Amino acid sequence: MSQATSTDSVMSQTALADLASFRSISRWAAVLTAVGGASVIGALWMVFFWVPTESTMGIMQRIYYIHIPTAWLGEFAFGIVALCSAGYLLLRDDRLDSIAVSAAEVGFIFLTGTLVAGPLWARLAWGSWWVWDARLSFSLLLWLIWIGYFVIRGGAEEQEKGKRMAAVLAIIGSLDIPLIHMSVYWFRTVHPMPVIMNPEGPTADFEIGMTIAASVTSFTLAFFGILLYRYGYERLRRQADVLRYAQAIPDR
Amino acid sequence: MTEFLRQSLVIAGKDLTIEARSKERLISMLTFAVLVGVVFTFSLDATVPSRSIAGAMLWVSILFAGMLGLGRSFTLEKEQDALVGVLLTPVGRGAFYFGKFLANLALVTGTTLLIFFVYGLFFQLNLWAAWTGLALVTALYLIGFMALGTLFSAVAASTRLGDSLLPIILLPLLIPVIFFGATAAQRLILGRPLEEVAGSIRMLGAFDLLFLFACTIVFGKVVEE
Repeated sequence: MSQATSTDSVMSQTALADLASFRSISRWAAVLTAVGGASVIGALWMVFFWVPTESTMGIMQRIYYIHIPTAWLGEFAFGIVALCSAGYLLLRDDRLDSIAVSAAEVGFIFLTGTLVAGPLWARLAWGSWWVWDARLSFSLLLWLIWIGYFVIRGGAEEQEKGKRMAAVLAIIGSLDIPLIHMSVYWFRTVHPMPVIMNPEGPTADFEIGMTIAASVTSFTLAFFGILLYRYGYERLRRQADVLRYAQAIPDR
Repeated sequence: MTEFLRQSLVIAGKDLTIEARSKERLISMLTFAVLVGVVFTFSLDATVPSRSIAGAMLWVSILFAGMLGLGRSFTLEKEQDALVGVLLTPVGRGAFYFGKFLANLALVTGTTLLIFFVYGLFFQLNLWAAWTGLALVTALYLIGFMALGTLFSAVAASTRLGDSLLPIILLPLLIPVIFFGATAAQRLILGRPLEEVAGSIRMLGAFDLLFLFACTIVFGKVVEE
């Protein structure tokens, strides 16, 4: 009985420590989200009121300023997931898995945004919602790999196994990221070529380049804010699971 | 390295011996592949020349028959906790993976040969004309397919979803290999020279090495108990 009481006490102390760390994470998340949100509003002002309309594509080119940052964050988030997954497999630190699953969920939303914004632009530019271009195809595949990642977690026999299996999928799935990036160089493509990050240096006009840079930076700040919120929630949820489990065990 | 190969061959031999006794995977794969051919025969427009879509038909049949066989690869090890027994032996995790890969490769190669033969008959395809190129492309495709398939059949077997999870996690990762394999095979069947598909062959080779290397490394984390 006394052993049970001391274990419960240790668990309660751990829970309190986690609660304190959650508060600190929440504060940082609030700051980052506020700064990110304000800068997204600033970037949107640039998109609608500052940058001139592109001469060949016209007004629809403005979709780029949403499409590019969401695509970048979709890939970047998967990079975080893959790195944290490799770290989790090596170190078995639960925090790394929490970062991985948080980045996966937030990144999935951004990649979904890319797959929605892209066809809206394509319908106007190419006259078709979707073409089986290499970059589009690999982006869709990354989105499907992500669905597999969530399905594995949900379908695992034990939670720990689910984390391990999802980590393995993330590591192998990350091989898709260089394919997405290099697809416009390796395959014949109708997808527009990069205007900022290309081997010859930036080719976009100053205003267009600045607006792309502003939207990418602001979306990235907002991404980290949301990621931090999600991570804090994940840590708290796992701690609650531990406490619930401890309470469910009858007195020893 | 010799020890690694010896251990891998022992595992492959074990799987192939079990298969030789039960014949359950091979028979289901072969029957399924023939049935897919029959479905193609009745569902395709008779005016469409078979040669123009032969690559797609062959690849779809190999893919689904292969996945059917892969599904059983690790459920077999789960029966009566046989996996624990294998893990307790001095066989390294990498060698265990490579042995399973070799056994799966042997089974799917046998099925593929039958698919080529049956589809040649069903659709009057002259696959002999480009057999060297076709053999090379198919071999590289099967290596990539089985490298990923062996790893993910182990992943799928350790979830409640089992075999139904395998296509969901395997196909998105396999698409680049399917793309290079199917397009190269289609061109070869249409009588194009081997040099024309040299780029696809190089890409297939690169994917095979990458998949084999990455899967051998991470496999130990999948079967960990």
